[in-house]
Amino acid sequence: MNKASSAAMVFLREGLCPGLTDEVVQALRAKNIRTVVDLVSSDVEDLAQKCSVSYKSLLAVRRVLLAQNSAFPVTGADLYEELLSSTAILSTGNASLDKLLDSGLYTGELSELVGGPGTGKTQICLGVAVNISCELKQSVLYIDSTGGLSANRLLQMIKAKISNAEEQMEALRRIQVCPVFDVFSLFECLHHFRSTGHQQFLAGGSSVKAVIVDSVSAVLAHMLGGRQTEGMSLMMQVAGELRTLAKDLNVAVLVTNHVTRDGNGMIKAGLGQSWSHTPRTRVLLQRIERPGSTCSSLRTATLIKSSRQPCYSMEEFDLRYWEQCEEKLHGLQGKRKQVSNSPG
Amino acid sequence: MQRPLSSFAFAPAVKVKLINAGFHTAADLCDLRPLQLSKESGISQQEAVEVLQTVRHDASQGAGAGSRMTALELLGREQAMGAIVTFCSALDSVLGGGMPVGKTSEVCGAPGVGKTQLCIQLAVDVQIPVCFGGLGGQAVYVDTEGSFMVQRVVDVAKAAVEHCSLLADDAEQREALKVFTVEDILSKLYLFRCHDYVELLAETYLLPDFLSQHPEVRLVVIDSIAFPFRHDFEDLSQRTRLLNGLAQQLAQMANQYNVAVVLTNQMTTKVGNGQSKLVPALGESWGHAATQRLILHWEGEQRLASLYKSPSQREATVLYQITGAGFRDVLSSDHASADSSAIPSGNAPKRLRTQADDHQT
Repeated sequence: MNKASSAAMVFLREGLCPGLTDEVVQALRAKNIRTVVDLVSSDVEDLAQKCSVSYKSLLAVRRVLLAQNSAFPVTGADLYEELLSSTAILSTGNASLDKLLDSGLYTGELSELVGGPGTGKTQICLGVAVNISCELKQSVLYIDSTGGLSANRLLQMIKAKISNAEEQMEALRRIQVCPVFDVFSLFECLHHFRSTGHQQFLAGGSSVKAVIVDSVSAVLAHMLGGRQTEGMSLMMQVAGELRTLAKDLNVAVLVTNHVTRDGNGMIKAGLGQSWSHTPRTRVLLQRIERPGSTCSSLRTATLIKSSRQPCYSMEEFDLRYWEQCEEKLHGLQGKRKQVSNSPG
Repeated sequence: MQRPLSSFAFAPAVKVKLINAGFHTAADLCDLRPLQLSKESGISQQEAVEVLQTVRHDASQGAGAGSRMTALELLGREQAMGAIVTFCSALDSVLGGGMPVGKTSEVCGAPGVGKTQLCIQLAVDVQIPVCFGGLGGQAVYVDTEGSFMVQRVVDVAKAAVEHCSLLADDAEQREALKVFTVEDILSKLYLFRCHDYVELLAETYLLPDFLSQHPEVRLVVIDSIAFPFRHDFEDLSQRTRLLNGLAQQLAQMANQYNVAVVLTNQMTTKVGNGQSKLVPALGESWGHAATQRLILHWEGEQRLASLYKSPSQREATVLYQITGAGFRDVLSSDHASADSSAIPSGNAPKRLRTQADDHQT
């Protein structure tokens, strides 16, 4: 696999490779050659003359640096083998959604849920987290930027699947929660997860199989546009971080996004064209407007971007799906009170 | 595995200078002194000191990234936080106990339906002592419309104090009642008046400092958030950006300082397909801002509250009424004619909850 390190454009320092002594570094710096890229992309003969460094040693240094920092090619067959052995498909817990997603969320990929307010994005994220924790007994990292995460709701959904109190607590322990409210905290959280958090879970016997970010538009949308220069760059960095996270750590990444209207009044996903290339799969959630019923938990999910399934196939599902077992256990009484419209 | 410098919260100008000088990751900076860094990259000494402090702080954080926790720990934390009752038991049960602390809630409604009344009721209810089942906290009220009436707070506070004094049956509760008087309630309610959106934004930046100096505050009300943003805004996309940024700041404040943030919004007409309907103002993207959304509306003579968006409660609609004593339930039909028609004096306690009947002699 690609081993190009993220520190490819590293500063030229003494001892970076044999032959790169302090005098050489100083001489190069005097001629404005500061980083590996500067050295590798300049003409060696010319440089040797200008810096009065021996041509042979400079060439040797260049060769070592290139070898250290370049990527190794991999054949397609090896890549396929590796993907077959490492990719897992995680069920979302809801059969209609699984059908839409070609049996579930794939690890190593980014999937996206888009929808207006109240369409069920957070509910699906919670349902996925609960399903992975209870059925697959694996860990989940849930990054919440909206305040929509409620541990009580998680417990409710877990109780529908597991009746033993000890196991319920175990399932809750497998869901790691990180509240972030701006993009820099998001970077910090992802970075810490990559460097240390991943190993923590391996010790406990379960590994993190999914990273859920709800929602990515809440931290990015207000940084784009106007006279702000950084917004796009930060958005693409987030995209890069999430995708490398998915590939390197073999996790499924699920993000949520809001919707906007384009010039014709048609609904489209937020964060613009550049972001739309980031997720592999995109699902649009909408409420069902049925005349006569004011409060409904039915939603439609439409596949609007996928590399595996034909697009624009739609499935209907009920947001209460994740608690259905609960209703079977408790019969008609249920934990929720149905408040009627009549007074008293 | 080092973090690239572009993912830190430095000013864009500083970032550009650092990257042009060849520093790309945090590792490149860790051995440098501020003077060296400022010479190499061309940033000022002060900026160099800040940059190095941020980078070193991040490196030393290690495994615990500040606020990360398991869902089990979050459950314990949520159960400790509680909710603010509204004194309308039907609405409380729909909301799962009341307005949740630590989250942002939005209350939308047409003029006169009772948004400010609900806010005033919450500002009084958050102060109910812990032994009565309340939070014993203080309240911050940010008024942008000028609709805050102190006399109304006095009426609502009096009714709340009387309700609690009827319920007091042990020494601890009677002790607590001594500090739960109308004067105390008024003294623990902090009022801020903002006249336009710039003042509101500035206030939101200053609120975290205020909250850290007053750790007892459990409720922040902004009444209303729509009013300053609906006048004189030519650039609507800038309005959306400002509102989204504001929403994130409020959500962070709610989470970090354990306060319930309640925002009031107005309604606007949306015309589509030849029909028009009443929707909350400030645009579609504002719908994502608050965690919970409550819509108050009229149906003939009756007032209804619908929970439109919530991550943990089911959607439902209930009846409520505004009496002289504040925000209350609508009782069964034989009492309805007596209670809802007259403008009550506010002296005799209304039948707030059925327990009150037991205590009345």
